[in-house]
Amino acid sequence: MDSSVTLDRVVMRFGDFTAIEPTSLEIRSGEFFSFLGPSGCGKTTLLNIISGFLTPSEGDVRIGDASMRGVAVNHRPTAMIFQNLALFPLMSVYQNIEFGLEVRGVDRTTRRRKADELLDLVALGGSGDKPVSALSGGQKQRVAIARALAVEPRVLLLDEPLSALDLKLRQHMRNELKAIQRKTGITFIYITHDQGEALAMSDRVAVMSAGRIQQVADPETLYHRPKTPFVATFVGENNRLPGRVVECHAGLAVLEVPGLGRLTGRCESELSPGQPAALFVRPEHLSPSSAEEETEAPRLEVRIETVSFEGAWRMLEARLVATGDTLRILAGQGEGSALQPGQTASFGYAPDKAIVMADDGSPMLDAETGEIQEAATRPDRESPHVSSA
Amino acid sequence: MFRQLKARFGAPVAMAIAGILGIWLILMVTLPQLQMIDYSLRPSLLPAEIGGPKDGWTLINYVTLFNNDIHLSIFFKTLWSSVLVTSLTLLVSYPLAYYLAKTATPGQAALCLLLLIIPFWINEILRTFSWFILLAFRGPLNEILLTLGLIERPIRFLNGDTGVLVGMVYAYILFMVFPLYNAIESLDGNQIRAARDLGAGSLRTHWRIVIPHAKPGIATGCIMTFMLAAGSYAVPALLGSPGSRWFTQIIYNWFFEGGDWNQGAAYAFLLLILCIGFMALVMRLFKVGLADIAK
Ligand SMILES: Nc1ncnc2c1ncn2[C@@H]1O[C@H](COP(=O)(O)OP(=O)(O)OP(=O)(O)O)[C@@H](O)[C@H]1O
Ligand SMILES: [Mg+2]
Repeated sequence: MDSSVTLDRVVMRFGDFTAIEPTSLEIRSGEFFSFLGPSGCGKTTLLNIISGFLTPSEGDVRIGDASMRGVAVNHRPTAMIFQNLALFPLMSVYQNIEFGLEVRGVDRTTRRRKADELLDLVALGGSGDKPVSALSGGQKQRVAIARALAVEPRVLLLDEPLSALDLKLRQHMRNELKAIQRKTGITFIYITHDQGEALAMSDRVAVMSAGRIQQVADPETLYHRPKTPFVATFVGENNRLPGRVVECHAGLAVLEVPGLGRLTGRCESELSPGQPAALFVRPEHLSPSSAEEETEAPRLEVRIETVSFEGAWRMLEARLVATGDTLRILAGQGEGSALQPGQTASFGYAPDKAIVMADDGSPMLDAETGEIQEAATRPDRESPHVSSA
Repeated sequence: MFRQLKARFGAPVAMAIAGILGIWLILMVTLPQLQMIDYSLRPSLLPAEIGGPKDGWTLINYVTLFNNDIHLSIFFKTLWSSVLVTSLTLLVSYPLAYYLAKTATPGQAALCLLLLIIPFWINEILRTFSWFILLAFRGPLNEILLTLGLIERPIRFLNGDTGVLVGMVYAYILFMVFPLYNAIESLDGNQIRAARDLGAGSLRTHWRIVIPHAKPGIATGCIMTFMLAAGSYAVPALLGSPGSRWFTQIIYNWFFEGGDWNQGAAYAFLLLILCIGFMALVMRLFKVGLADIAK
């Protein structure tokens, strides 16, 4: 059965506030699709539009070929797993799972058989008679999944279902969700603000910011070829070096970065000389370059500030000597690993590993504070020292 | 509790507070009740006979009710009508409480609550009297219904029990709405949404999710409304007809017209037993304990 979900120019306004900017998107049948974005970007709103709890101000939602306009929540082929699970606390596990079937008039024995199957699927066999309050967090999670699957939805909507669990359990449930999705072939629409979760589980991810979809791609593409500065900073870590474009051709752009000179990186779209832009290079793509080497590769002089040991690697927090901006560097077991705070060092990167993107004015994640910054309040946006080359 | 008080204010103050509370409870609550029980268990005697050979404890006052068919029928009618009032109030209050708790915006809810509460700033007698005017044979309600062509001749609302029912539902609606509102308010909105999402229509959602959750509130509201209704005097006196007398009116008559306090006290206790019985029944039916209700 075609269980694709199509958003056709969907807009959602609450009074004057536009929570969802015009959005068109097709989620394929049987896909594990995630919406990833910071808090308040409109993820839950979008999910509520698909499930029918909200009627979009404009546009249409289609599931398969059928328009969902005018179709009430209880008649849509979707099931939702709520951010707080919303299990029925006065009912037993069985009663919770069987609720949707009872509503559909399924007889008692069939209901019980189905519930038992589902409990086995979520590895909770034999817990059917327990009251919900007697379950642990992970078990409640599983009951919520079983309850939603019981109504045989074509689309399962999950609103940050793992956010309440501890790290170990979260990782375990990730695998389990993925396995359940594969087994059932249901379209999963998963919402999260945890990029690790989105990248690990999804076939495709839509990155959202302030009601707008920034990029839709598979996790690899999202990580290696981000389309906007927001995606570059929100998905994985990234160092951002702002400047102005000098030239751009054959997929390579040269950027004049104040204090650092000319830096080269890949460019995916046309950039015109003089345009404000930034170079993004990931911490793991920075490697020590010795002073003697006379290469064309760009060199960044830094003073190491802190070193945090994280097992297989070290994360170095450094400041660029020339500008005082922060640079994060991932050092493996090799050369960089001996560096100590206070030392100065020189780092380089392969130009094809860095990306130059026009400053599109979209908000982005601040590497130092971990907060989203609106373009207007970003300190470097209007800074006078960014002069054209 | 005494220990908490002691920790907070020291032993002398704590003892003083506990003492005052104890004296108040004994003097103002317990003793009068005991006195009434004593009254109800003694025959009504002339002052000269008190302490004489006829004075002694007896159940005669309680038996009177069961030998008096009229009083007995009024007793059961009061019971039945109070149940009716309670059910009607619940029926009216539930949608209102649900709307206030879950559907209305904070502004709408505040306005609605204000509109509900304002009439209660007026004395119960006056409020009831305004219903007397509204429901009168030549009153505004009949006038409106006639003008709209809904009825052909005026209805005597105040003739039977209609007036009493309407007046009581109105008089006690807040005592039902507030416990219901509190109970429904505390229900996580996602529970309702989850039920809808799983395919339940709104009737089933109420029946399976909202009402079970609101049970303690429903029980509290029903008990309060029932007790107020069964013990009401002003409403039946004003809005009732001679044919729709309330048991409280009989008690009143024993005390102040018959001058037989002993008999009146016995009747009052029978009414109290009825109320306690109803409370126990409701708690049983709703499977809630005293602790749930006190919440
Ligand atoms: N009913 C509503 N009325 C007004 N504004 C709303 C309403 N629902 C959501 N919003 C606003 O829309 C924006 C998006 O909300 P939404 O709940 O979709 O965010 P989210 O991405 O799910 O965030 P989180 O990760 O914190 O759950 C927020 O700014 C929120 O304040
Ligand atoms: Mg949300």
